[in-house]
Amino acid sequence: MRFLTTDPAAESSNILYKRCTIDLRTVEQRMEETPCRNLEDVLGGFGRSFQDLARRQINNAYCDENPLIVNTGLLTGSSAMTGMRTYFSGYSPIKGSKAGLPAAMWSTGSGKFGAKFKWTGLDELIFENRSEQPVYVVIKETDAGPQVELKPAERLLGLSTHDKIMALQKDYPDAHFAAIGQAGENWQNNFMGAVALSTENQLKEKEDKCRFAGRGGMGSLMGYKNILALVAQSSDKLKPLSEAVKKVNLNVVKGGGSARIQPISRGGGGGTWAAYDVLQEFHAVPVNNFRPQGNAIPEKLFRENVEKEYDIKSQACYRCGITCHNNISEKNADGSKGEFLAKFDYEPLNLLGTNIGIHDAGQAARLIQLSDNYGMDAISLGATISYALSYNERHPQKTFLNGATFGDYEKIHELIIQAGEGKLPEIGQGSMRLSQSLNETCYAYHVKGLEIPAYQPETNPGYAWAIAGGHMSMGTYGLLTREGKSDLDSWVKGITEDKLHIVGFDMIGLCKFFDIAKGIGTQMVVDCLKSEFDLDVSIDNIRAAVRRSFLRGLALELRQGYTKAEFCLPAEVFENPNQNIKLPNITSPEFIEKLEKRVWEIFEPELEGLLNA
Amino acid sequence: MMKINVKLVGMFRIGRFNEKRLEYPSDARVFDIVEDLQLPKDVLGIILINGLHAGEQDSLKDGDALSLLPMLDGG
Repeated sequence: MRFLTTDPAAESSNILYKRCTIDLRTVEQRMEETPCRNLEDVLGGFGRSFQDLARRQINNAYCDENPLIVNTGLLTGSSAMTGMRTYFSGYSPIKGSKAGLPAAMWSTGSGKFGAKFKWTGLDELIFENRSEQPVYVVIKETDAGPQVELKPAERLLGLSTHDKIMALQKDYPDAHFAAIGQAGENWQNNFMGAVALSTENQLKEKEDKCRFAGRGGMGSLMGYKNILALVAQSSDKLKPLSEAVKKVNLNVVKGGGSARIQPISRGGGGGTWAAYDVLQEFHAVPVNNFRPQGNAIPEKLFRENVEKEYDIKSQACYRCGITCHNNISEKNADGSKGEFLAKFDYEPLNLLGTNIGIHDAGQAARLIQLSDNYGMDAISLGATISYALSYNERHPQKTFLNGATFGDYEKIHELIIQAGEGKLPEIGQGSMRLSQSLNETCYAYHVKGLEIPAYQPETNPGYAWAIAGGHMSMGTYGLLTREGKSDLDSWVKGITEDKLHIVGFDMIGLCKFFDIAKGIGTQMVVDCLKSEFDLDVSIDNIRAAVRRSFLRGLALELRQGYTKAEFCLPAEVFENPNQNIKLPNITSPEFIEKLEKRVWEIFEPELEGLLNA
Repeated sequence: MMKINVKLVGMFRIGRFNEKRLEYPSDARVFDIVEDLQLPKDVLGIILINGLHAGEQDSLKDGDALSLLPMLDGG
C-alpha cells in the first residue's frame, strides 16, 4: 500500500492499494494502484471485498461472473502480533437464501501465506472467470514490483492439501502456500471446500499442520475456477519492532484477552479446547447433533483424559506468542511422541467428535485429519454428518447413505472420504440442501444455509444475525454462558452494538485472539497503525468502519433474497426444547419475537444506501 | 464460619482439587476464596453461586455451592 496521507478516515483516497485482476480464461492481467474509497477499504479484508461483491448481482456461485477475491488486512505482515491473516471472498456455494441465491461470504485463516503475499507488494488478487486447465498461481516479489503468473497444475490434481503444499515446496523452498484439497477439486459435489494455508511448523516438520480458511466453501469456489494452489514468494520483510508495537504485543500475550488461550504450562487455559470443560458445566457441549443429554459423556474428550494416552504439544503461528495450537500425536510405548495426528481446536474436536458420537480422542483426531487433508470445513462437514446420523437414528428401518449412526467410526470415516472425493453430494452440499431433500428440516443445524459451530443455538440467538457463519461474525456466543445475560436489553445491545465488532478482525489482518472481547476499535490498534504506517485514526472512526462493514453484510444478505424469517435458529430449538441445558431459556418464541423486532428496528434504518457507496 | 462447596473447572483443577467443602469466615466473598485458592485472575471467566452467574464481590452464605470456571473465548 502507498500512503499519501496520515488521515485514513478523512482522506482515504490518498491511500492506494496494489491490486491485480486476472482473467483466468484469457490469462490477461491488470495490475493497478487503486485509491481507497473509505476507511473500510484501507483496513482491508472483507471490509473491502464486500464493497466489490455488492457491485455484482450473482445468481449462482459457480458462474464466471463470481470473482474469487484474495486479499489481506492492513496489519497482515506487520510486526503487530497475530498479523497473519489472508481473506478469501466471493459468493458462496454453500451459504444461500431459500430464494436460491448465493450469499456473499468471506473466510480467513492464519499461517504464513498472508504475510508472504503482502510482502510480494500485492494487496489484493481478483480472479475473474475460470481456467480451462488446472493451474496454480505464483505471486512473486521482483525489483519491478509484484508479478503474478499462472502455471499448469495437472501434477497436483488429486493430492491432499498437505501433499500439494509439500509438492510445491520442493519447487519454491522460500515461499508459502494456499491450497485446496480434493474436496475443492470436486466442487460440483462438494460445496464446503476449504483453503489450507501453510505454516512454518508444517514446512519445517513436513507434518500436516496447515491453518484453514474453512467457512463458506471458498475452497470450492477456488476449485471451480480451476486454481489448485497459490504460491507467495518473497523475502521476509518484518520491520524492527518499535517500542509502541512491542508494548502492544506484550499486552496481547500477557493481557487478559489471550490468557485462556495460552498453554497450561504458562498458566493459561490451554487453547480453545478448554471450552469443553466450561460448557460441560452447563451441559451445553453439543452431543449427537446438538442434543446435550445432561450426562458426563463429553468429559471423555476433556484434556485431562486425553493426555493420559496421547502426546499433546503446544505450538504457535509464526511470531505469535499466544501459542494456541494443541497438537495431538500418538504416544509411543516409551512415552515419547509418535505420529502426529491433528490439532485439537474446540470446533473440529466437538463437531467431528462428541457431536457425532465419537468419544475416543484418537478416532476424533483421525477424522479431523481426514477433513483437513481433503480440505473441507470441519464445521460444515461435522454438522452435516451429525444431521445424517440423526436422520438414521430417527429412521432405523429406513436409513440412508451407508446407514451410519452416532459413534459408528468406520462408517463415518467412509462418509468423510466419499464426501472429500466428491462422491457424496448429500454430505458435500451441506445440511440445508440435505434436510430439504429429505423433507426433515427442523433438526438441520444451520442458520441461513451455513452450519453452526459448536455452541448450542439455545445459548446464542445472535446466530441469526451472524453474516459469515456462527460465532466468528457475531460474538454473542458467550453472552449467556460467560456473562450470564438473559434479559432482552442485554441481547439487543449485544447484537446491535458490542458483539458485531468481532468482524473487525476480518478486515485488519489480525487474529481474533489479539483482543477478542474488545474488537479492533482499541488504543492497541490505534497505536499499531501509528507506529507501522504513521496513520492517525481514532477509535470511533475504526468502530464506525467496522459497523458499516457488518451492516453492509446484512444488506447484502437481504439483497440476495433472504427474508427476515430466514434469520432464525434451527426449528428443533423451539419445537423440542432441550431441558438438559442448565442455563436460562432465552429462545422461547416470545423472547425471540421481541428480540427480532428490536434488533431490526435498530439495524434496518442503517442499511439504507450501504450497497451504493 | 461457613462451609462452602467449591467446584473448580478446567485448568483450575491442576494442583488443586475438583470439588471440596471448605470453611471460610461468615463474611467471606467470592474474591476471598479466589485469593485463597490462588487462582489466576486473568483466566477466571465465570463464577456461579448455586448455578447462577455471580461476581467476585458477591457474598456467600453457609452451604452455598460455588463454581469457578476459566474464560470462554471462541473456538
